[in-house]
Amino acid sequence: MGKVTKEQVESTLQSKLNPSHLEVIDTSGGCGASFEIEIVSEQFEGKRLLERHRLVNGALVEEMKEIHALSIKKAATPDQWRQQQESEKSASNAA
Amino acid sequence: MATINLSSLQASSPSLRFLSSYSPQNTLHASFYSPSSSSLSFPSVSLKLPNTLRFRPRSLIIGAAAKALSETELVPVPLTAEEFSTQLPSDSGVYAVYDKNDELQFIGISRNIAASVYSHLKSVPDQCSSVKVGVVDQPDKTALTEAWKSWMEEHIKATGKVPPGNESGNATWIRQPPKKKADLRLTPGRHVQLTVPLEELIDRLVKENKVVAFIKGSRSAPMCGFSQRVVGILENQGVDYESVDVLDEEYNSGLRETLKKYSNWPTFPQIFVNGELVGGCDILMSMHEKGELASLFKK
Repeated sequence: MGKVTKEQVESTLQSKLNPSHLEVIDTSGGCGASFEIEIVSEQFEGKRLLERHRLVNGALVEEMKEIHALSIKKAATPDQWRQQQESEKSASNAA
Repeated sequence: MATINLSSLQASSPSLRFLSSYSPQNTLHASFYSPSSSSLSFPSVSLKLPNTLRFRPRSLIIGAAAKALSETELVPVPLTAEEFSTQLPSDSGVYAVYDKNDELQFIGISRNIAASVYSHLKSVPDQCSSVKVGVVDQPDKTALTEAWKSWMEEHIKATGKVPPGNESGNATWIRQPPKKKADLRLTPGRHVQLTVPLEELIDRLVKENKVVAFIKGSRSAPMCGFSQRVVGILENQGVDYESVDVLDEEYNSGLRETLKKYSNWPTFPQIFVNGELVGGCDILMSMHEKGELASLFKK
């Protein structure tokens, strides 16, 4: 496998975790391939943050061999995501 | 002695020393008296500023940062840690410590005034009777140094003396560089045949130590941004932790691969508390932001 692309990461996560929201940002720099991920999936329901990260890491096990850094910014359930969006919205409305 | 020009004194005369500068590249002669627990939170300082302050032109700030020494109220030094946090600001600024005869002993700058004065109280309680505090609004190094200089100059002008604690050779008020713990080594060296599998050494290590961080590089010089952030958070929490450099091929040879399997976690840094993997940098940051770390470390 050559250099991992953002599209590869996206399609792998899409197929394995069936996310309702997914954002992959390519932050590759001097050190090698590097990504930031925001992901919302029903599969996170009832799982601790550690286990959610494990799911993401597990889904990307092949890609991880070539990825220098993976930063999981958010791993939320659809419910949490909705709440967060709403609170952000009301915060920005208030401002 | 008539008037003393402080800047020339600093530059030419060895008789006045501006705090201690223990980092060799520190050309400013200024170093902050801040306990390690607060020194790592610098980047957040500017974020706490109200919007209106952020874009104020610099020229307005310097010089107007703190009130004159003589106009600043002298307040008694609190006696307990709790009182400190309520009675003294945890902001950046300049402070002057007075003994029980109201003699000025030391003028310092800090990124956390309350914490600095508290450390002084612990190290020289008999000389810390009261304190004057000047918070500096936009606390970059220049502004802080200016504030410090203006107080020093004012005091020297008024009394013809340098505060005893700021005199050259007086180490009473100056924090010694914190002794960083050494990183732990898993093996005696790669030439030594292990009698116990590496996995078992890892297992023992994380179970025998409350908090263990496996990082890239040493704790004093982490080699990757994520490890650096983790060290920063742990120091900021003031937690007593052990660190293991996973890049140390001499003493931790084979650790990276074995640890990944042991913890079923593909990346570094990895943080263990009470023998259990907490996660990597993202998880630690997220817990830090939610304020969940203190209770985790108390367990």
